[in-house]
Amino acid sequence: MRNTFASTMLEVGRCDPKLVVLVADISHFALQPFAVESPGRFYNVGILEPCMVSMSAGLAAAGLYPVTHTIAPFLIERSLEQIKLDFCYQALGGTLVSVGSAFDYSRLGCSHHCYNDMGLLNGLPNTQIAYPASPLEFRRLFTETYRNDKLTYFRLPEAQHGVTFADGDIQVGKGILLCEGSDVTIIGAGPSLRTVMESLPNLATCGLSAEVIYLPMLKPFDADIVRTSVAKTGRVIVIEEHSRVGGYGDEVLHATAGRSDFRYDFVQIPDEFQRGYGDYKEHLATLGFTPDNLVRRAVALCQGK
Amino acid sequence: MRDELRIRIVDMITKAGEGHIPSSFSIVDIIDTLYSKFLKFDKNDPKWPGRDYFVLSKGHGCAALFVVLEKHGLLDRSDIDKYGTHAGILGGHPDRTKVPGVEASTGSLGHGLPFALGLALGQKIQSKSNKVIVLVGDGECHEGTVWEAALVAQNLDLRNICCVVDYNGSAAQILPHPNIQAQWEAFGWTAVSIDGHNRDEIEAAFASFYAGENRKPFAIIARNVKGRGVSFLETHGPWHHKIPGAHEYAAIIAELSK
Repeated sequence: MRNTFASTMLEVGRCDPKLVVLVADISHFALQPFAVESPGRFYNVGILEPCMVSMSAGLAAAGLYPVTHTIAPFLIERSLEQIKLDFCYQALGGTLVSVGSAFDYSRLGCSHHCYNDMGLLNGLPNTQIAYPASPLEFRRLFTETYRNDKLTYFRLPEAQHGVTFADGDIQVGKGILLCEGSDVTIIGAGPSLRTVMESLPNLATCGLSAEVIYLPMLKPFDADIVRTSVAKTGRVIVIEEHSRVGGYGDEVLHATAGRSDFRYDFVQIPDEFQRGYGDYKEHLATLGFTPDNLVRRAVALCQGK
Repeated sequence: MRDELRIRIVDMITKAGEGHIPSSFSIVDIIDTLYSKFLKFDKNDPKWPGRDYFVLSKGHGCAALFVVLEKHGLLDRSDIDKYGTHAGILGGHPDRTKVPGVEASTGSLGHGLPFALGLALGQKIQSKSNKVIVLVGDGECHEGTVWEAALVAQNLDLRNICCVVDYNGSAAQILPHPNIQAQWEAFGWTAVSIDGHNRDEIEAAFASFYAGENRKPFAIIARNVKGRGVSFLETHGPWHHKIPGAHEYAAIIAELSK
Protein backbone atom coordinates (compact mmCIF):
# COMPACT_ATOMS: atom_id res chain seq x y z
CA MET A 1 0.00 0.00 0.00
CA ARG A 2 2.94 2.31 0.60
CA ASN A 3 4.01 1.91 -3.02
CA THR A 4 0.46 2.59 -4.13
CA PHE A 5 0.53 5.78 -2.07
CA ALA A 6 3.80 6.82 -3.71
CA SER A 7 2.64 6.05 -7.25
CA THR A 8 -0.65 7.87 -6.66
CA MET A 9 1.21 10.98 -5.52
CA LEU A 10 3.28 10.78 -8.71
CA GLU A 11 0.21 10.43 -10.93
CA VAL A 12 -1.92 13.10 -9.23
CA GLY A 13 1.07 15.42 -8.84
CA ARG A 14 1.63 15.39 -12.61
CA CYS A 15 -1.84 16.86 -13.15
CA ASP A 16 -2.29 19.02 -10.07
CA PRO A 17 0.36 21.62 -9.21
CA LYS A 18 -1.34 22.27 -5.88
CA LEU A 19 -0.53 18.84 -4.46
CA VAL A 20 2.20 19.11 -1.80
CA VAL A 21 3.56 16.15 0.19
CA LEU A 22 5.18 16.44 3.62
CA VAL A 23 6.81 13.52 5.43
CA ALA A 24 8.64 13.14 8.73
CA ASP A 25 11.49 10.96 7.56
CA ILE A 26 9.20 8.09 6.53
CA SER A 27 8.75 6.81 2.95
CA HIS A 28 11.06 9.47 1.52
CA PHE A 29 12.76 6.95 -0.75
CA ALA A 30 9.45 5.63 -2.06
CA LEU A 31 8.34 9.19 -2.79
CA GLN A 32 11.44 10.21 -4.74
CA PRO A 33 9.73 9.82 -8.16
CA PHE A 34 7.13 12.38 -7.02
CA ALA A 35 9.89 14.60 -5.61
CA VAL A 36 11.77 14.51 -8.91
CA GLU A 37 8.76 15.15 -11.12
CA SER A 38 7.23 17.77 -8.83
CA PRO A 39 10.16 19.88 -7.65
CA GLY A 40 9.44 22.13 -4.70
CA ARG A 41 6.40 20.11 -3.67
CA PHE A 42 7.97 17.34 -1.58
CA TYR A 43 9.39 18.05 1.86
CA ASN A 44 11.05 15.64 4.24
CA VAL A 45 10.46 18.20 6.95
CA GLY A 46 12.26 16.58 9.87
CA ILE A 47 11.33 14.43 12.83
CA LEU A 48 8.81 16.89 14.25
CA GLU A 49 5.35 15.57 13.56
CA PRO A 50 3.19 18.16 15.40
CA CYS A 51 5.02 20.98 13.60
CA MET A 52 4.55 19.17 10.30
CA VAL A 53 0.79 18.86 10.84
CA SER A 54 0.45 22.56 11.69
CA MET A 55 2.55 23.45 8.65
CA SER A 56 0.25 21.36 6.48
CA ALA A 57 -2.76 23.26 7.78
CA GLY A 58 -0.97 26.47 6.88
CA LEU A 59 -0.37 25.15 3.38
CA ALA A 60 -4.09 24.44 3.12
CA ALA A 61 -4.85 27.99 4.27
CA ALA A 62 -2.54 29.17 1.48
CA GLY A 63 -4.73 27.37 -1.07
CA LEU A 64 -2.71 24.18 -1.58
CA TYR A 65 -3.64 20.50 -1.13
CA PRO A 66 -1.30 19.10 1.52
CA VAL A 67 -0.71 15.40 2.06
CA THR A 68 0.98 14.65 5.37
CA HIS A 69 2.56 11.28 5.97
CA THR A 70 4.36 9.34 8.64
CA ILE A 71 3.66 6.35 10.85
CA ALA A 72 0.34 6.27 12.66
CA PRO A 73 1.27 6.78 16.33
CA PHE A 74 3.28 9.91 15.56
CA LEU A 75 0.93 11.28 12.93
CA ILE A 76 -2.26 10.81 14.93
CA GLU A 77 -1.62 10.28 18.64
CA ARG A 78 1.38 12.61 18.99
CA SER A 79 -0.13 15.31 16.78
CA LEU A 80 -3.77 15.10 17.84
CA GLU A 81 -4.13 18.67 19.09
CA GLN A 82 -2.60 20.02 15.87
CA ILE A 83 -5.09 17.93 13.89
CA LYS A 84 -7.97 19.08 16.05
CA LEU A 85 -7.20 22.81 16.16
CA ASP A 86 -5.25 23.56 13.00
CA PHE A 87 -7.26 21.46 10.56
CA CYS A 88 -10.64 20.53 12.04
CA TYR A 89 -11.49 23.64 14.06
CA GLN A 90 -10.29 25.90 11.26
CA ALA A 91 -12.36 23.97 8.69
CA LEU A 92 -9.32 23.34 6.49
CA GLY A 93 -9.14 20.41 4.12
CA GLY A 94 -6.17 18.13 3.76
CA THR A 95 -5.03 14.53 3.75
CA LEU A 96 -3.26 12.48 6.39
CA VAL A 97 -1.76 9.17 5.28
CA SER A 98 -0.32 6.69 7.75
CA VAL A 99 1.47 3.40 7.64
CA GLY A 100 2.21 1.38 10.76
CA SER A 101 -1.22 1.43 12.36
CA ALA A 102 -2.46 -1.31 14.71
CA PHE A 103 0.48 -3.71 15.21
CA ASP A 104 1.88 -3.60 11.68
CA TYR A 105 5.31 -2.81 13.16
CA SER A 106 4.87 -6.00 15.14
CA ARG A 107 8.43 -6.42 16.35
CA LEU A 108 9.00 -2.82 17.43
CA GLY A 109 6.85 -2.79 20.53
CA CYS A 110 4.08 -0.52 21.69
CA SER A 111 5.80 2.81 20.93
CA HIS A 112 5.27 1.91 17.27
CA HIS A 113 1.79 0.42 17.63
CA CYS A 114 -1.38 2.44 17.15
CA TYR A 115 -4.71 0.88 18.05
CA ASN A 116 -6.85 4.01 18.46
CA ASP A 117 -6.08 6.20 15.46
CA MET A 118 -9.43 5.86 13.73
CA GLY A 119 -11.36 6.29 16.97
CA LEU A 120 -9.48 9.46 17.84
CA LEU A 121 -10.21 11.03 14.47
CA ASN A 122 -13.78 9.73 14.42
CA GLY A 123 -14.43 11.96 17.43
CA LEU A 124 -13.27 15.11 15.64
CA PRO A 125 -15.67 17.17 13.49
CA ASN A 126 -14.84 17.77 9.81
CA THR A 127 -12.95 14.50 9.36
CA GLN A 128 -13.26 11.60 6.94
CA ILE A 129 -11.63 8.22 7.58
CA ALA A 130 -10.67 5.67 4.95
CA TYR A 131 -9.19 2.24 5.61
CA PRO A 132 -8.30 0.95 2.15
CA ALA A 133 -6.64 -2.45 1.86
CA SER A 134 -6.26 -2.65 -1.90
CA PRO A 135 -4.57 -0.26 -4.35
CA LEU A 136 -7.77 0.58 -6.22
CA GLU A 137 -9.47 1.73 -3.04
CA PHE A 138 -6.71 4.16 -2.16
CA ARG A 139 -6.39 5.59 -5.64
CA ARG A 140 -10.12 6.04 -6.02
CA LEU A 141 -10.83 7.49 -2.58
CA PHE A 142 -7.78 9.76 -2.57
CA THR A 143 -8.70 11.20 -5.95
CA GLU A 144 -12.24 11.82 -4.72
CA THR A 145 -11.31 13.47 -1.43
CA TYR A 146 -7.97 15.29 -1.52
CA ARG A 147 -9.43 18.55 -2.80
CA ASN A 148 -12.51 18.72 -0.60
CA ASP A 149 -12.88 20.79 2.57
CA LYS A 150 -12.56 17.86 4.98
CA LEU A 151 -9.50 16.40 6.65
CA THR A 152 -9.32 12.87 5.28
CA TYR A 153 -7.29 10.20 7.04
CA PHE A 154 -6.05 7.19 5.11
CA ARG A 155 -4.99 4.30 7.32
CA LEU A 156 -2.80 2.21 5.03
CA PRO A 157 -2.28 -1.34 6.32
CA GLU A 158 0.76 -3.41 5.51
CA ALA A 159 -1.42 -6.36 4.45
CA GLN A 160 -4.02 -6.32 1.71
CA HIS A 161 -7.28 -8.23 1.73
CA GLY A 162 -6.84 -9.74 -1.73
CA VAL A 163 -10.37 -9.04 -2.95
CA THR A 164 -10.71 -7.43 -6.37
CA PHE A 165 -13.26 -4.68 -6.83
CA ALA A 166 -14.61 -2.94 -9.91
CA ASP A 167 -13.78 0.75 -10.14
CA GLY A 168 -17.40 1.73 -9.65
CA ASP A 169 -17.66 -0.25 -6.40
CA ILE A 170 -15.52 2.22 -4.52
CA GLN A 171 -17.36 5.38 -3.54
CA VAL A 172 -16.97 7.85 -0.70
CA GLY A 173 -19.08 6.75 2.25
CA LYS A 174 -20.45 3.65 0.57
CA GLY A 175 -20.18 0.05 1.71
CA ILE A 176 -20.09 -2.99 -0.55
CA LEU A 177 -22.26 -6.09 -0.21
CA LEU A 178 -19.83 -8.85 -1.16
CA CYS A 179 -21.81 -11.93 -0.32
CA GLU A 180 -25.50 -12.36 0.47
CA GLY A 181 -26.54 -14.55 3.39
CA SER A 182 -29.31 -15.01 5.91
CA ASP A 183 -27.85 -16.09 9.28
CA VAL A 184 -25.17 -13.62 10.21
CA THR A 185 -23.73 -10.36 8.89
CA ILE A 186 -19.94 -10.19 8.97
CA ILE A 187 -18.16 -6.88 8.53
CA GLY A 188 -14.43 -7.12 7.88
CA ALA A 189 -12.46 -3.87 8.02
CA GLY A 190 -9.29 -3.35 5.98
CA PRO A 191 -7.11 -6.47 5.73
CA SER A 192 -9.51 -8.40 8.01
CA LEU A 193 -11.70 -8.86 4.97
CA ARG A 194 -9.27 -11.60 3.92
CA THR A 195 -9.97 -13.42 7.20
CA VAL A 196 -13.70 -13.10 6.56
CA MET A 197 -13.43 -14.49 3.03
CA GLU A 198 -11.27 -17.40 4.20
CA SER A 199 -13.82 -18.29 6.87
CA LEU A 200 -16.71 -18.67 4.44
CA PRO A 201 -16.16 -22.34 3.46
CA ASN A 202 -16.06 -23.46 7.10
CA LEU A 203 -19.07 -21.32 7.94
CA ALA A 204 -20.96 -23.07 5.17
CA THR A 205 -19.81 -26.43 6.49
CA CYS A 206 -21.26 -25.41 9.85
CA GLY A 207 -24.53 -24.66 8.14
CA LEU A 208 -24.30 -20.89 8.42
CA SER A 209 -25.16 -18.53 5.61
CA ALA A 210 -23.01 -15.42 6.05
CA GLU A 211 -23.65 -12.01 4.54
CA VAL A 212 -20.38 -10.14 4.03
CA ILE A 213 -20.13 -6.36 4.00
CA TYR A 214 -16.99 -4.33 3.34
CA LEU A 215 -16.73 -0.65 4.21
CA PRO A 216 -13.67 1.12 2.75
CA MET A 217 -14.55 4.19 4.81
CA LEU A 218 -15.37 4.42 8.49
CA LYS A 219 -16.49 8.04 8.15
CA PRO A 220 -18.84 8.79 6.50
CA PHE A 221 -20.23 5.47 7.66
CA ASP A 222 -22.69 3.65 5.43
CA ALA A 223 -25.27 2.96 8.13
CA ASP A 224 -27.95 2.01 5.62
CA ILE A 225 -26.15 -1.03 4.27
CA VAL A 226 -25.56 -2.25 7.83
CA ARG A 227 -29.15 -1.67 8.97
CA THR A 228 -30.57 -3.42 5.94
CA SER A 229 -28.36 -6.45 6.45
CA VAL A 230 -28.90 -6.73 10.19
CA ALA A 231 -32.66 -6.45 9.71
CA LYS A 232 -32.37 -9.59 7.60
CA THR A 233 -29.86 -11.65 9.59
CA GLY A 234 -30.43 -10.48 13.17
CA ARG A 235 -26.75 -11.06 13.97
CA VAL A 236 -23.57 -9.17 13.21
CA ILE A 237 -19.88 -9.72 13.80
CA VAL A 238 -17.32 -6.96 13.25
CA ILE A 239 -13.65 -7.84 12.82
CA GLU A 240 -11.21 -4.93 12.82
CA GLU A 241 -7.58 -4.44 13.77
CA HIS A 242 -8.52 -1.50 15.98
CA SER A 243 -9.37 -0.87 19.60
CA ARG A 244 -12.87 -1.24 20.97
CA VAL A 245 -13.41 2.52 20.92
CA GLY A 246 -14.57 4.57 17.99
CA GLY A 247 -14.04 2.11 15.18
CA TYR A 248 -16.34 -0.02 13.05
CA GLY A 249 -17.84 -1.83 16.04
CA ASP A 250 -19.07 1.37 17.63
CA GLU A 251 -20.45 2.61 14.32
CA VAL A 252 -22.41 -0.62 13.88
CA LEU A 253 -23.94 -0.15 17.32
CA HIS A 254 -24.87 3.44 16.51
CA ALA A 255 -26.33 2.37 13.17
CA THR A 256 -28.51 -0.25 14.82
CA ALA A 257 -29.42 1.74 17.94
CA GLY A 258 -33.00 1.14 18.97
CA ARG A 259 -33.10 -2.46 17.78
CA SER A 260 -33.52 -5.06 20.50
CA ASP A 261 -33.88 -8.04 18.23
CA PHE A 262 -30.31 -8.69 17.16
CA ARG A 263 -27.11 -10.11 18.62
CA TYR A 264 -23.59 -8.91 18.01
CA ASP A 265 -19.96 -9.75 18.64
CA PHE A 266 -16.64 -8.07 17.92
CA VAL A 267 -13.14 -9.25 17.13
CA GLN A 268 -10.99 -6.24 18.05
CA ILE A 269 -7.75 -5.30 19.75
CA PRO A 270 -8.43 -5.62 23.48
CA ASP A 271 -7.97 -2.77 25.94
CA GLU A 272 -4.35 -3.59 26.73
CA PHE A 273 -0.90 -2.98 25.24
CA GLN A 274 0.28 -5.76 22.98
CA ARG A 275 3.63 -6.39 24.58
CA GLY A 276 4.58 -9.43 22.54
CA TYR A 277 6.96 -9.25 19.58
CA GLY A 278 7.06 -11.62 16.63
CA ASP A 279 5.59 -11.13 13.20
CA TYR A 280 2.23 -9.74 12.13
CA LYS A 281 0.66 -13.16 11.72
CA GLU A 282 1.63 -14.14 15.24
CA HIS A 283 -0.19 -11.08 16.54
CA LEU A 284 -3.21 -12.01 14.44
CA ALA A 285 -3.21 -15.50 15.88
CA THR A 286 -2.75 -14.28 19.46
CA LEU A 287 -5.64 -11.85 19.21
CA GLY A 288 -8.02 -14.11 17.31
CA PHE A 289 -7.91 -12.45 13.93
CA THR A 290 -8.14 -15.86 12.27
CA PRO A 291 -10.73 -17.70 10.18
CA ASP A 292 -11.06 -20.41 12.84
CA ASN A 293 -11.84 -17.92 15.60
CA LEU A 294 -14.27 -16.09 13.37
CA VAL A 295 -16.12 -19.33 12.64
CA ARG A 296 -16.24 -20.20 16.34
CA ARG A 297 -17.62 -16.78 17.21
CA ALA A 298 -20.21 -16.96 14.43
CA VAL A 299 -21.35 -20.42 15.50
CA ALA A 300 -21.67 -19.24 19.10
CA LEU A 301 -23.59 -16.17 18.05
CA CYS A 302 -25.99 -18.20 16.00
CA GLN A 303 -26.66 -20.90 18.57
CA GLY A 304 -30.36 -21.25 19.22
CA LYS A 305 -31.28 -19.42 16.06
CA MET B 1 -3.43 62.24 24.85
CA ARG B 2 -6.21 59.68 25.08
CA ASP B 3 -5.02 56.20 24.18
CA GLU B 4 -8.06 55.27 22.12
CA LEU B 5 -7.02 51.70 21.28
CA ARG B 6 -6.29 50.75 24.89
CA ILE B 7 -9.53 52.39 26.05
CA ARG B 8 -11.41 50.42 23.42
CA ILE B 9 -9.78 47.22 24.69
CA VAL B 10 -10.76 47.95 28.28
CA ASP B 11 -14.29 48.89 27.29
CA MET B 12 -14.95 45.70 25.34
CA ILE B 13 -13.41 43.40 27.92
CA THR B 14 -15.12 45.09 30.87
CA LYS B 15 -18.49 44.99 29.15
CA ALA B 16 -18.16 41.34 28.20
CA GLY B 17 -16.56 40.22 31.44
CA GLU B 18 -13.94 38.28 29.50
CA GLY B 19 -10.48 38.98 28.17
CA HIS B 20 -6.81 39.57 28.90
CA ILE B 21 -6.17 43.31 29.28
CA PRO B 22 -2.42 43.34 30.14
CA SER B 23 -1.56 40.83 27.39
CA SER B 24 -3.44 42.97 24.88
CA PHE B 25 -1.78 46.18 26.06
CA SER B 26 1.59 44.48 25.60
CA ILE B 27 1.14 44.00 21.85
CA VAL B 28 -1.31 46.63 20.65
CA ASP B 29 1.35 49.14 19.58
CA ILE B 30 3.07 46.54 17.41
CA ILE B 31 -0.14 45.30 15.77
CA ASP B 32 -1.39 48.80 15.06
CA THR B 33 1.94 49.86 13.56
CA LEU B 34 1.95 46.75 11.37
CA TYR B 35 -1.56 47.41 10.02
CA SER B 36 -1.00 51.16 9.71
CA LYS B 37 2.33 51.11 7.88
CA PHE B 38 3.20 47.73 6.41
CA LEU B 39 0.62 44.95 6.11
CA LYS B 40 -1.09 44.71 2.71
CA PHE B 41 -4.83 44.13 3.04
CA ASP B 42 -8.11 45.17 1.49
CA LYS B 43 -10.70 46.08 4.10
CA ASN B 44 -13.46 45.39 1.56
CA ASP B 45 -12.04 42.00 0.61
CA PRO B 46 -10.41 40.29 3.59
CA LYS B 47 -9.52 37.25 1.46
CA TRP B 48 -7.81 39.36 -1.24
CA PRO B 49 -5.16 37.06 -2.73
CA GLY B 50 -2.53 39.79 -2.65
CA ARG B 51 -2.74 40.32 1.09
CA ASP B 52 -0.06 39.74 3.67
CA TYR B 53 -0.90 37.37 6.50
CA PHE B 54 -0.84 38.25 10.19
CA VAL B 55 -1.14 35.34 12.63
CA LEU B 56 -1.67 36.17 16.29
CA SER B 57 -0.30 33.03 17.85
CA LYS B 58 -0.82 34.17 21.44
CA GLY B 59 -4.55 34.23 20.83
CA HIS B 60 -5.49 35.39 24.32
CA GLY B 61 -4.26 38.87 23.35
CA CYS B 62 -6.88 39.06 20.62
CA ALA B 63 -8.63 42.14 21.99
CA ALA B 64 -5.64 44.10 20.68
CA LEU B 65 -6.12 42.58 17.24
CA PHE B 66 -9.86 43.17 17.22
CA VAL B 67 -9.61 46.89 18.03
CA VAL B 68 -6.95 47.30 15.34
CA LEU B 69 -9.14 45.46 12.82
CA GLU B 70 -11.97 47.83 13.75
CA LYS B 71 -9.71 50.86 13.37
CA HIS B 72 -8.66 49.73 9.90
CA GLY B 73 -12.15 48.88 8.69
CA LEU B 74 -12.10 45.08 8.77
CA LEU B 75 -14.52 44.94 11.69
CA ASP B 76 -17.54 47.10 12.46
CA ARG B 77 -18.39 48.81 15.71
CA SER B 78 -21.29 46.40 16.09
CA ASP B 79 -18.85 43.47 16.00
CA ILE B 80 -16.88 44.94 18.89
CA ASP B 81 -20.06 45.74 20.78
CA LYS B 82 -21.04 42.07 20.62
CA TYR B 83 -17.63 40.80 21.78
CA GLY B 84 -18.02 37.81 24.06
CA THR B 85 -21.72 37.35 23.34
CA HIS B 86 -23.28 34.22 21.92
CA ALA B 87 -24.58 36.13 18.90
CA GLY B 88 -21.28 37.82 18.12
CA ILE B 89 -18.29 36.70 16.06
CA LEU B 90 -15.64 37.78 18.57
CA GLY B 91 -14.58 35.91 21.67
CA GLY B 92 -11.66 35.32 23.98
CA HIS B 93 -9.62 33.76 21.18
CA PRO B 94 -9.75 34.55 17.45
CA ASP B 95 -11.65 32.32 15.01
CA ARG B 96 -10.65 32.45 11.34
CA THR B 97 -13.94 30.90 10.25
CA LYS B 98 -15.89 33.86 11.61
CA VAL B 99 -13.74 36.97 11.83
CA PRO B 100 -12.75 38.97 8.73
CA GLY B 101 -9.02 39.55 8.76
CA VAL B 102 -8.19 36.73 11.17
CA GLU B 103 -5.90 34.26 9.42
CA ALA B 104 -5.62 31.58 12.11
CA SER B 105 -7.74 30.35 14.99
CA THR B 106 -5.40 30.31 17.94
CA GLY B 107 -5.56 29.86 21.68
CA SER B 108 -3.51 26.79 22.48
CA LEU B 109 0.06 28.07 22.45
CA GLY B 110 2.68 26.76 20.06
CA HIS B 111 0.44 26.45 16.99
CA GLY B 112 0.78 29.82 15.31
CA LEU B 113 4.40 29.73 14.19
CA PRO B 114 4.28 26.31 12.49
CA PHE B 115 0.92 27.26 10.93
CA ALA B 116 2.47 30.51 9.69
CA LEU B 117 5.37 28.50 8.35
CA GLY B 118 2.91 26.59 6.18
CA LEU B 119 1.46 29.88 4.96
CA ALA B 120 4.95 31.15 4.13
CA LEU B 121 5.97 27.93 2.41
CA GLY B 122 2.71 28.06 0.47
CA GLN B 123 3.60 31.52 -0.86
CA LYS B 124 7.04 30.30 -1.85
CA ILE B 125 5.70 27.21 -3.63
CA GLN B 126 3.29 29.39 -5.61
CA SER B 127 5.96 32.04 -6.32
CA LYS B 128 3.96 34.69 -4.50
CA SER B 129 5.50 37.68 -2.76
CA ASN B 130 2.98 37.88 0.12
CA LYS B 131 4.58 38.28 3.53
CA VAL B 132 3.69 36.36 6.68
CA ILE B 133 3.99 37.96 10.10
CA VAL B 134 3.35 35.95 13.27
CA LEU B 135 3.35 37.16 16.85
CA VAL B 136 4.23 34.73 19.67
CA GLY B 137 4.53 35.21 23.42
CA ASP B 138 7.76 34.69 25.30
CA GLY B 139 6.00 32.21 27.57
CA GLU B 140 4.77 30.53 24.41
CA CYS B 141 8.42 30.06 23.50
CA HIS B 142 8.49 27.30 26.11
CA GLU B 143 6.53 25.16 23.64
CA GLY B 144 8.66 22.75 21.65
CA THR B 145 6.76 23.34 18.43
CA VAL B 146 8.03 26.94 18.37
CA TRP B 147 11.60 25.68 18.10
CA GLU B 148 10.68 22.86 15.74
CA ALA B 149 9.26 25.51 13.44
CA ALA B 150 12.19 27.87 13.96
CA LEU B 151 14.57 25.16 12.83
CA VAL B 152 12.45 24.25 9.81
CA ALA B 153 12.11 27.89 8.69
CA GLN B 154 15.85 28.36 8.24
CA ASN B 155 16.24 24.93 6.67
CA LEU B 156 13.58 25.78 4.06
CA ASP B 157 15.20 29.19 3.54
CA LEU B 158 11.96 31.05 4.23
CA ARG B 159 12.72 34.74 3.98
CA ASN B 160 9.09 35.83 3.73
CA ILE B 161 8.28 35.17 7.40
CA CYS B 162 8.72 37.48 10.35
CA CYS B 163 8.18 36.31 13.91
CA VAL B 164 7.57 38.94 16.56
CA VAL B 165 8.31 37.75 20.09
CA ASP B 166 6.29 39.57 22.74
CA TYR B 167 9.15 39.54 25.22
CA ASN B 168 7.26 40.93 28.21
CA GLY B 169 8.73 38.79 30.94
CA SER B 170 5.94 36.23 31.23
CA ALA B 171 8.40 33.41 30.73
CA ALA B 172 10.82 34.82 33.29
CA GLN B 173 8.38 34.12 36.11
CA ILE B 174 8.56 30.41 35.42
CA LEU B 175 11.29 29.34 33.05
CA PRO B 176 13.45 32.24 31.86
CA HIS B 177 15.05 32.39 28.45
CA PRO B 178 18.72 33.10 29.19
CA ASN B 179 19.23 35.06 25.96
CA ILE B 180 16.25 34.93 23.69
CA GLN B 181 17.80 36.91 20.84
CA ALA B 182 20.76 34.54 20.79
CA GLN B 183 18.35 31.58 20.79
CA TRP B 184 16.68 32.77 17.59
CA GLU B 185 20.04 33.54 16.02
CA ALA B 186 21.27 30.09 16.98
CA PHE B 187 18.30 28.61 15.11
CA GLY B 188 19.39 30.43 11.96
CA TRP B 189 17.24 33.55 12.10
CA THR B 190 18.17 37.20 11.85
CA ALA B 191 17.02 38.66 15.16
CA VAL B 192 16.70 42.29 16.20
CA SER B 193 15.73 43.63 19.58
CA ILE B 194 13.46 46.68 19.98
CA ASP B 195 11.33 48.57 22.46
CA GLY B 196 7.93 47.21 21.46
CA HIS B 197 6.13 50.33 22.62
CA ASN B 198 8.27 52.76 20.64
CA ARG B 199 6.62 53.28 17.27
CA ASP B 200 9.84 54.45 15.62
CA GLU B 201 11.67 51.31 16.65
CA ILE B 202 8.74 49.09 15.62
CA GLU B 203 8.67 50.80 12.21
CA ALA B 204 12.39 50.39 11.74
CA ALA B 205 12.23 46.67 12.50
CA PHE B 206 9.31 45.99 10.15
CA ALA B 207 10.93 48.17 7.50
CA SER B 208 14.02 46.01 7.68
CA PHE B 209 11.94 42.87 7.21
CA TYR B 210 9.87 44.32 4.37
CA ALA B 211 12.98 45.56 2.61
CA GLY B 212 13.86 41.92 2.08
CA GLU B 213 17.55 42.48 2.60
CA ASN B 214 17.93 39.69 5.12
CA ARG B 215 18.78 36.28 3.76
CA LYS B 216 17.20 34.49 6.71
CA PRO B 217 13.83 34.32 8.45
CA PHE B 218 13.43 37.44 10.56
CA ALA B 219 12.69 37.66 14.28
CA ILE B 220 11.82 40.81 16.19
CA ILE B 221 12.37 40.54 19.93
CA ALA B 222 9.99 43.16 21.29
CA ARG B 223 10.90 44.18 24.82
CA ASN B 224 7.37 44.87 25.99
CA VAL B 225 5.67 45.60 29.26
CA LYS B 226 2.63 43.56 30.10
CA GLY B 227 -0.17 46.00 30.88
CA ARG B 228 1.76 48.93 29.44
CA GLY B 229 -0.15 52.19 29.75
CA VAL B 230 -1.75 51.78 33.17
CA SER B 231 0.52 51.78 36.20
CA PHE B 232 -1.30 49.24 38.32
CA LEU B 233 -1.87 46.81 35.46
CA GLU B 234 1.81 46.57 34.57
CA THR B 235 3.93 43.46 35.02
CA HIS B 236 2.67 40.17 36.36
CA GLY B 237 0.25 40.67 39.17
CA PRO B 238 -3.33 39.48 39.44
CA TRP B 239 -4.52 41.36 36.36
CA HIS B 240 -3.63 38.74 33.75
CA HIS B 241 -7.26 37.61 33.37
CA LYS B 242 -9.02 40.01 35.73
CA ILE B 243 -12.03 42.15 34.86
CA PRO B 244 -12.10 45.68 36.30
CA GLY B 245 -14.78 46.71 38.75
CA ALA B 246 -16.41 50.16 38.49
CA HIS B 247 -13.75 52.01 40.50
CA GLU B 248 -10.90 50.18 38.80
CA TYR B 249 -12.39 50.89 35.40
CA ALA B 250 -12.57 54.60 36.21
CA ALA B 251 -8.95 54.58 37.35
CA ILE B 252 -7.82 52.81 34.17
CA ILE B 253 -9.65 55.25 31.92
CA ALA B 254 -8.24 58.16 33.87
CA GLU B 255 -4.67 56.98 33.29
CA LEU B 256 -5.31 56.29 29.61
CA SER B 257 -6.84 59.75 29.14
CA LYS B 258 -3.89 61.78 30.42
